[in-house]
Amino acid sequence: MLNRLLFKNQDRKQLIIAMVGSFLGITFLVTSIHFLIKVNDFGKGAEILGPNTIIVQKKVSMFGMSSTTFSDSEIEKIRSEKFIIDVKPITSNNFDISFQTDDPEVPYFRSDLFIQTIDTGFIDVEASNWDWKEGDTIVPIIMPRDFIVMMNTFMSAQGIPQVSDELAKQINFKFTLSDEKNKEWVDARIVGFTNQVSALLVPNSFMEYGNTKYGKGEEKKVTQIIISGKESEFGKVETLLKNKGLESKNAQMVVGRLKSIIGTLFFVVLAISIIAVFVSGLVLIQYLQLLMSRNAYEVRTLLRIGYPPKQIIGKFFKYFTRIFGIVCLIGIGMFIPLKLMIDDIFVSGGIYIDLGFTFESIGALLLAFLLFILSSFLTAKKGIYKEY
Amino acid sequence: MKIILDHVMPDPLASMTHSDDSIWGNFVELEHGKKIVLNASSGKGKSTFTTSVCGIRNDYTGKILYDGQDLKSYSPEDWAEIRQKKVSVVFQDLQLFPKLTVEENLLLKNSLTNTYSASDIKQMLDHLGIADKWGQQAGLLSMGQQQRVAIIRALVQPYSWLIMDEPFSHLDKENTRLCLELIDKRTTEQGAGFVLTTLGDYHDFNYDQELKL
Repeated sequence: MLNRLLFKNQDRKQLIIAMVGSFLGITFLVTSIHFLIKVNDFGKGAEILGPNTIIVQKKVSMFGMSSTTFSDSEIEKIRSEKFIIDVKPITSNNFDISFQTDDPEVPYFRSDLFIQTIDTGFIDVEASNWDWKEGDTIVPIIMPRDFIVMMNTFMSAQGIPQVSDELAKQINFKFTLSDEKNKEWVDARIVGFTNQVSALLVPNSFMEYGNTKYGKGEEKKVTQIIISGKESEFGKVETLLKNKGLESKNAQMVVGRLKSIIGTLFFVVLAISIIAVFVSGLVLIQYLQLLMSRNAYEVRTLLRIGYPPKQIIGKFFKYFTRIFGIVCLIGIGMFIPLKLMIDDIFVSGGIYIDLGFTFESIGALLLAFLLFILSSFLTAKKGIYKEY
Repeated sequence: MKIILDHVMPDPLASMTHSDDSIWGNFVELEHGKKIVLNASSGKGKSTFTTSVCGIRNDYTGKILYDGQDLKSYSPEDWAEIRQKKVSVVFQDLQLFPKLTVEENLLLKNSLTNTYSASDIKQMLDHLGIADKWGQQAGLLSMGQQQRVAIIRALVQPYSWLIMDEPFSHLDKENTRLCLELIDKRTTEQGAGFVLTTLGDYHDFNYDQELKL
C-alpha cells in the first residue's frame, strides 16, 4: 500500500531514460575494464622473460670481419648506463647435446640443438620449478615458442593433432649428452615458453654439469647478453642498441607497442564509461529527488500519522536499489554478448587473449552499485528528514 | 499523559494582545482523561495550538510538555512512536491521501498498530453512514464524507489524547452528533482525553474543561 502511495504516480518515461543511460554506462564500464585488463595481461605468463627485457647480439657486418663476442668490459660499460637495470651474459653449451620426444602419445622426434642459460633473475618461473642438481631425474626447460610451432607443423604433417602450451608441458622429452667416449640420457619437462630466445633454456647447474663432464675444453665465448631496462626509459635502451651496433628480436617490442595502443583505446573508453556511469547515476539520484519532492505531501502526512522516518527512507532506498540492481543485471547481460563479440574480433585478428572473465570488472560493477545505493540512501534520508 | 503549556507564545501571535484567560502566555494543564473544548474565533490560533501540541511546529517561546518532557527534545523516531500510540490528530485540512481509497487510507494507518480488524473499521464507517464509500477514492468524496473518514482514521490507533482541529466544520448536526458519539465512546473506552477546537459551536456536548484563546 505504501509502495502504491509513493511510487504509483510517477513519470515512468523519465525513469526509463535514466535507467537506459545507467545501463549503457554500466555496460561500457564493465566491458572497458575487462578488456583493459585482458589486453594488459596479453602475453603475460606466455612470456617467461620480463616485459622490459631483451636479448641482444652484435650485428654481423657486411664483410663479417668484426667480432661478435662480448668482452667483460663491454658488458660492464652497458651495465653502467643509468637506464639499465641489469646485464648478464648468456651461457651456451660447450658439449654435444640432442633433444628428442620420449612419450608414447607423441611421435618420435629428435634433433641436435644448442641450449642456453639465462641468469635466474630474468626468468619469471617459480624457483622450485627451475632447479636441477646432479642425480635429479628431470631437467626443467624453457622452450622457444618457435620450437613448438615447428613441432606442431611436424605433427600436423603426420596427421596427428597439434599440441597446446598446456599439453606440451605434459610431454616427456629426453636429452642425450655425449662426448667421444661417454653418453648419458636425462629426462626433460617444459615449464614455460619464450618468444625471445631461440635456444632451449636450462638451469645453470645443468649447463655447468654438461660443460664440466662432456665439455670440449675450449673456452666458450659470450655472443649474446640479456638486458633489462627501466620501463619509462626503454626508448634509451633502443638508442643504445643502435649506437653500439647491437640487435635484438623486435617482435616483443612490436607486441608492447600494440598493447600500448589498444590499452590506451580501452583506457579512453573506460574514462568515458566512468563519466557516463557518474552522470547517469546523478540522473537517477536527481529522479529520486524529483520523486520525493512530488511525494512531499504524502511523505509529510505519513510522518504526521505516525510512520517512522526510517520506514519511509527504507521504501525509497529499496525501490532505487532494485532499479539500479536491474540496471546492473541488464548491464552484465549485455556485457556477455559484447565480450563474446569483441573476443571474436580479437581472435579473428590473430590476437589470442585470455577468454575468461575478470574479477576486476565485476568488482567495478559492485563498487558502482554500492556507491549508487549509498547515494540513494543519503538522498532519501535527507529528503525525508527535510519534511519534519 | 498530562500536557502542560508553560507560558507558550507562538511567534506569529506574539504581536497580538491576548485576554488574561487565554492559553497563550499562561500556564495551562491538560489533565489526563479530560474532554476539552477550545472555542475561539478565526485567526486566534486554534490550528497553531493543534499543530504545536502534536509537535508539527515549534515556532513558539515557552514550553509544551508531555508528562514533564519538553516536546522540542523528542527525536523524529520518538514522534513516530508518540503519533502511533499516544497522540492522534484530526487535521483541519484532513490530510487524507486523495488517490487512495477509503479502505487504503484507513488500513494504512491501522497497519501501524493493528488496533482493529477491517470489519471493525467498516462498522465505524457504517455508524457514520459512509460504509458504501469503502472502495472509493478519498479525493472523490464530498468534504463531509472526507471529514468522517479522517475522524475514523484518527480513531484506529491507541491514544492518550485525541487532538481535533474543527473536525465537524463540513458536517450537519446529525452527523456531528454521530461522530462525537463515536469519538466519546472510543476515548472513554481507553481512558483517554480529547481536545476539540471549534468556531463557537459546542455541539451539545458536556465538556470537562474549556480553553480560551
